Amino acid sequence: MSNIGVGFNRKEKAAATLVEMCSVRLGTTLFGVPIKHILEIVGGARPQPVPLAPRFVGGLVHYRGDVLTTVSLRQLLDLPPRDGPQDILVLESSGGCFGLLVDSVGEVLTVSSLDYEPNPSILDERRRALFVGAYKLKDSLMIMLDPERLDPVRLDPVLLEGTQHDRAQTETMRGPAAQAA
Amino acid sequence: MALDELTREFLIESQEGLDRMERCLTELEERPEDAGLIGDIFRSVHTIKGTTGFLGFKRLEKLAHAGENLLGLLREGKVTADRPTTTGLLQLMDGLRSILKSIEVEGTEGDGEDTVLIECLEELQAPVHVHASAAAGLIQEQHPAMPETAHGPSPEHPSVEQVSPTAPVAAVAAAPKPGPDKGPEKASGDAEGEGAKARVQSTGTAAESTLRVDVTLLNRMMNLVGELVLTRNQVLQATANDPNLTLLSRRLDMVTADLRESVMKARMQPVSNIFSKMPRIVRDLSQSLGRKVRLQMEGQETELDKSLLEAIKDPLTHAVRNSLDHGIEPPDVRLAAGKDPEGTLRLRAVQEGSHVVIEVSDDGAGIAVERVRQKAIERGLITAEKAAYMVERELLQLVFLPGFSTAAAVTNVSGRGVGMDVVRTNVEKIGGKVEIDSRTGKGTTLRLRIPLTLAIIPALIVHSVKQSFALPQGALSELVHVPPEQAATAIEWMEGAPLYRLRGKFLPLVFLDRLLMPKGAHKGSTEKENFIAVLNADGRQFGLVVDGLADPEEIVVKPLSAVLKNIGLYSGATVLGNAELALILDPGSIALKAGVTMSSDEKTGRGADAETESEAAKSPEYLLVEVADRQAAVPLADVLRIEQVKISRIEYIGYRPVLNFEGQLLPVEDSGGVLAAAQADLEAPDASERQIIVVVCREGNRHVGIAVSHVLDVAAGGDLFEAGTKARAGGVTLLKNRVTGVVDLGGVPPLPVGESENSEWGQSTNGMVEAAR
Repeated sequence: MSNIGVGFNRKEKAAATLVEMCSVRLGTTLFGVPIKHILEIVGGARPQPVPLAPRFVGGLVHYRGDVLTTVSLRQLLDLPPRDGPQDILVLESSGGCFGLLVDSVGEVLTVSSLDYEPNPSILDERRRALFVGAYKLKDSLMIMLDPERLDPVRLDPVLLEGTQHDRAQTETMRGPAAQAA
Repeated sequence: MALDELTREFLIESQEGLDRMERCLTELEERPEDAGLIGDIFRSVHTIKGTTGFLGFKRLEKLAHAGENLLGLLREGKVTADRPTTTGLLQLMDGLRSILKSIEVEGTEGDGEDTVLIECLEELQAPVHVHASAAAGLIQEQHPAMPETAHGPSPEHPSVEQVSPTAPVAAVAAAPKPGPDKGPEKASGDAEGEGAKARVQSTGTAAESTLRVDVTLLNRMMNLVGELVLTRNQVLQATANDPNLTLLSRRLDMVTADLRESVMKARMQPVSNIFSKMPRIVRDLSQSLGRKVRLQMEGQETELDKSLLEAIKDPLTHAVRNSLDHGIEPPDVRLAAGKDPEGTLRLRAVQEGSHVVIEVSDDGAGIAVERVRQKAIERGLITAEKAAYMVERELLQLVFLPGFSTAAAVTNVSGRGVGMDVVRTNVEKIGGKVEIDSRTGKGTTLRLRIPLTLAIIPALIVHSVKQSFALPQGALSELVHVPPEQAATAIEWMEGAPLYRLRGKFLPLVFLDRLLMPKGAHKGSTEKENFIAVLNADGRQFGLVVDGLADPEEIVVKPLSAVLKNIGLYSGATVLGNAELALILDPGSIALKAGVTMSSDEKTGRGADAETESEAAKSPEYLLVEVADRQAAVPLADVLRIEQVKISRIEYIGYRPVLNFEGQLLPVEDSGGVLAAAQADLEAPDASERQIIVVVCREGNRHVGIAVSHVLDVAAGGDLFEAGTKARAGGVTLLKNRVTGVVDLGGVPPLPVGESENSEWGQSTNGMVEAAR
């Protein structure tokens, strides 16, 4: 990954706090998850599908003697499924542990709170519910994810399943988001 | 208020002390003179009192103190442990418990008032001569200081001489010499020292060899061991070809197995943990109901997983209450019936294979079957016509229906109609079963059959939608294979409802793939290998159609997250031996989801099933076979397996037909001429493809085969008697109301090698076959 701007130049500003984020890729979009919520990264996993589960459930993986439910970020964002193994971030939220299925996990980046911007109002409703905001990097954006919002217990299946009509709408709405990335 | 470490420790310790006290108290009723028991109880209360003083729980201290006084007198023999005394002590225990509870929940002792209880305890302290109530009042006022007057009673309390000698013998000896009144703190410190010493003596060894462990830690350990087992499996596979690592991996294998067993064992607790609560319940109930009951307990050392033990506590208590309220009659009724006025309630725990059976039996009135019939009709649970046909055993099963109660009046003990169905539901929830057996006038026995552990269950691994699923074997009754070429005819459709004729009766089918993938394309889906798993879930019978079967496995149940639990089809997940994940199917929910309900016909059918099942417990079961148009019976206990073999595999030693099973020679009995018929025209093109059925049975030390045309059913046999002589008829039994001959396995002549009944049997006969050829 290229040397994405980290914002050290803003260190002198008193209000700046630095956050370490684990960068995650989904297609070409860059996401970030605060590393303090990450228990472990499991690479090359093939989750066992669960028939009749809500669409956002990516399946089950065996993790340290327990069976872990995973959430597929692709399904959450209504992207087409990807063949082949994916990486799993094992996240801790107040409801317990769960796995987040992503295409690939990258390096840890340190970002400054000064580069943070909340979700823009033009973002579609579903994404507004999932994203916390974004960090402005030198040449790209990093969308910040919050494990609390992605916890399968809290995800609302009704909102995410969506009707056919909703899905068509999000299809058209994805344009700006993709450009933003 | 958050509890500090010390308080929590105190709570746990005090609870244990009270548990011990409870056990001792109920025993004390039997043996009021047992000094050891009184000593034990005294120490329990004393420890609580000592520690409370230290922690500053005044109310608790005061109450414990009052109890200690009484117990001290008991210990010295000044007061005898009669019934009112024990009752008082039990009340003391309840009082202490409720304060402890309040400390645990709220962090404070609560504002309850214990004066009545304390007064009561003080009145009990009166030895032989009755205490003046004035004195009692005085004592109460002086309470905190009272027992600590270890150096003798103060002269200004005239009653003290009878009351205070709680302190051991030395104090009594010193009694005539009035000493100064010690302050409570100091004295209680002294007393605590003494109590602590005594406790160390009695429990020292136990405390050194045991350790308190958090259950969540044990669960975590269990999980990690499961993980280790899987890793071991992978290591074993990876190192299989490396001779250097074989020894190491072998050792890893053994250590892992031992570790797993030890952790499992750590979760086990003896049933005495719940049995020990019963004497108190029986005592209190029998007093309030006016019954005289003797409680017998057996097999208290039998062990069960802790979580299961918790789960059966309520059902068991309920069963005991029921026995006392409805089972055992009042003493006068018992006397009139010519019984011992004292009834007997037996609690028995015994391990049977992978189950623990807990029996609650009483020698009471039994269940009046006619009343069950009436009540069931009255409450609209069954129709009058149906009831008229039901026999005793079917009627007994009705008590498990929700809303059933035969009690003439609702008492505060039981009889509200929420009884046996709750017992059954709770026990079935943990994979157990409930059976009931009752004889009018003789008593009732309730049997709870509980699996040893919840964490590990036997399951059949099935395949569907290209995935593996685990099916708990508890619900599985049989498996039927429908090969692709038979699928079209064997699986019948009634307006979209798939059915299979299982021994002539409709069995509703549920296709697992259609259930799991409702939108999936299932074109010509029956034109493949189909396996029907016949399941029984909550009394509903249905067939689950899957694509394939794998071996049964002992699976470790892992909980699912709430999102997946909400789907309602899966009860958990597990990791299979090949490291693959499998979801555990819940037969009850599948039945519900697929709309399998109990039709009214099935209800009666189920009753009939239950009847044959329970009949089976009494009379032997037979395999009903057809041999050349005649029906015959083979004792089921002797049947090892049923083989379908090609006729060409039957060979002959002389004229004796035999079957060669991997070097094991099986004589085949063919009195019905089934073989002869099958071999009639061997020249026909299909002759070698013809199949015959051989029932392989055990007869003494040997195995014999019986050639049959069809296997029809399994049924319980009934006895037949010769008219006039009433002598039991041999060789025949009553099967499905038909007189049926029983195949005489002993009559199958031994093979020529019969005289050498050693383990070489198979090999030596092999030689004979060669010779015969």
